[in-house]
Amino acid sequence: MTDEPTIAIRDLHKSYGATPVLRGCSLSVKRGEVVVVCGPSGSGKSTLIKCINGLEGYQSGSIRVEGIEVGAKGTNLPKLRARVGMVFQHFELYPHMSVVDNIALAQVHVLKRGRTAARERARELLTRVGLQDKADAMPADLSGGQQQRVAIARALALDPQAILFDEPTSALDPEMIHEVLQVMTELAASGMTMVVVTHEMGFARRVADRIVFMDAGEIVEDASSDAFFTTPRTQRAAEFLSKILAH
Amino acid sequence: MPDVILKNLPFLLNGLWLTIDLSMWSIVLGTLLGLVAGTVRFVRVPVLDTVALVYIEFIRGTPLLVVLFITYFAFPALFGYHTTAYRAAISGFVLFIGAYLAEDFRSGLRAVRPGLIQAGLATGLTRWQVLRHIILPQAVRRVLPSLFNQYVRLIKFTSVASVIGVTELTGAGLLVNARDFHPVTILATIAIVYLVLCIALSMAGRALYAHFAVRT
Amino acid sequence: MNYHFDWTPIWAARGLIAEGLAMTVALSAAALVFSTVIGLIVGGAAAAGSRAARALALAFTETMRNIPLLIHMYIWYMALAFLRLPAFSCAVLGLSLYSGAYVAEVVRAGIGAVGRGQMQAALATGLTRFQAMRYIVYPQALRIIAPSLASLFSQLIKDSSLASVIAVAELTYQAGAIEGQTFRTFEVYITISLIYLVLVTAASQLVLLIPGSRNEAAAGRFADA
Repeated sequence: MTDEPTIAIRDLHKSYGATPVLRGCSLSVKRGEVVVVCGPSGSGKSTLIKCINGLEGYQSGSIRVEGIEVGAKGTNLPKLRARVGMVFQHFELYPHMSVVDNIALAQVHVLKRGRTAARERARELLTRVGLQDKADAMPADLSGGQQQRVAIARALALDPQAILFDEPTSALDPEMIHEVLQVMTELAASGMTMVVVTHEMGFARRVADRIVFMDAGEIVEDASSDAFFTTPRTQRAAEFLSKILAH
Repeated sequence: MPDVILKNLPFLLNGLWLTIDLSMWSIVLGTLLGLVAGTVRFVRVPVLDTVALVYIEFIRGTPLLVVLFITYFAFPALFGYHTTAYRAAISGFVLFIGAYLAEDFRSGLRAVRPGLIQAGLATGLTRWQVLRHIILPQAVRRVLPSLFNQYVRLIKFTSVASVIGVTELTGAGLLVNARDFHPVTILATIAIVYLVLCIALSMAGRALYAHFAVRT
Repeated sequence: MNYHFDWTPIWAARGLIAEGLAMTVALSAAALVFSTVIGLIVGGAAAAGSRAARALALAFTETMRNIPLLIHMYIWYMALAFLRLPAFSCAVLGLSLYSGAYVAEVVRAGIGAVGRGQMQAALATGLTRFQAMRYIVYPQALRIIAPSLASLFSQLIKDSSLASVIAVAELTYQAGAIEGQTFRTFEVYITISLIYLVLVTAASQLVLLIPGSRNEAAAGRFADA
């Protein structure tokens, strides 16, 4: 094991046309760390984590995932993405496939696992997220919370080194948020490296090692969880916290 | 059944069989052509994209009868080969229906949510694998109703093959009429046969769609 | 490819082509008017009529559009022979019944899309059923169905070529005549195709003049992802 962080972002700049979205972001995530990224909407949080697995490109700066430069010409993006899972706000389960096939697809076509082995692994993971009896259901038959747990199992199926979460609970009804956070908490306890964009400050406080606060395309604050919640260093972070914790 | 129909039944049934034969070949090959052309347009494969665009726009602006004249008379003259009315009819139908199906497939492909494409890419699938396993299966299910509309249209359009001398159902009916002259009886009978064929195919399409539709 | 291109006979036959074009336009325009009338009445009945009217409308559309247009052409031409109608009228009749059934289907769907609430709101203000259809439902439905109408009307122009089989001297019929005289097979049919292409494109632009019909749907583009 080297000291190379799992994810290292340096001075990242990105813009859509003339509109800057990311303005010099730097962030490093060590193996086993849980980092929560928060900030007002439009601050660039989602864009930042989608740059990590190359779903979004960037103009300058560098992102290294396990030492491999994401934006470099020769980088095998599919291979890199298989090592970094992602969970989306709107679940994005494939609606034409059963739950177990959703989880098996990339195992078969990316990792070249046999179909039987892939399905078996899928069932194991479904048990882990508490949905062993839903293996043969179609996504449309599941609640939002169940769909998101399947999406987490789908990401886990590739045995990733890290998982990126893009607002995993913000499309969920309140009563389903808990079951998803529960799975994520267990995942963190098992030592998974996680970068989580979320507004769930309770989760952040309990589970995150570090909090990264973004505003207007910049990382304004990068602090340990305790420090962030008790003594935010910047005015902007303090305002954000008071607004989001008020209700 | 009217006498003129009974008397000529074997000949007319032969015509019906030819109508079904023409339709089947044209549907199968036309769907393949449409799928390829529609996918090429969707993925914007360089050069091929332009070829597909010109083909689709040209055919969609041209009457079927003219397309048949082109495959029966103009292409053989231009490229110097011999063809038969049957082969020219199938080529014409395939070219014709393929252009419309290409547009249907393309809009079905475009209707798949971008988030699903991202989700596929995020698990390490290549763009081709995403297309093959995630986008295409959903697009095909989504466009089933449009496909069957085109197939029904095609069955009716196969009657135009009679103009270049194929004795499918309409051609056979016209020949019978030329000899026995009962235009209304003969044409009405043929019309009913097409009606039954078309309604049956529409119903099959609806049943298929009800079974395979993607619920979201 | 040893084909020797010669476009001069086509240019020489421009008079015939122009006559054919005029006939195609006249035929399409007449059929367009009648099929729109048929479509509005039958489609309106299918969407908002009594139970009997709905059944009748359904029977009409299913029958008319599931019979090949070519059969329509022959059947009206031969069945109405005793009336000694000109072939042109028979072609207009066949084309109008066939296309009218398609227009009716589109109109029915359009009215359905406007929704019951609008009709009820209009009735609640004291409008009659007819007035509600005329002033509230149809204008909204027309906007919704404009793109479908555009493609139906371009379809109709292309379909009018089948009138050639009952000797209506429209564009395709003239093409056959010119081909028979000059043997410039390829040149004739390519020229005719291009003329149809221009006609069809122009026609589909015309329908987009309906106010509010020019809405462009944004869709996900794989090529940009």
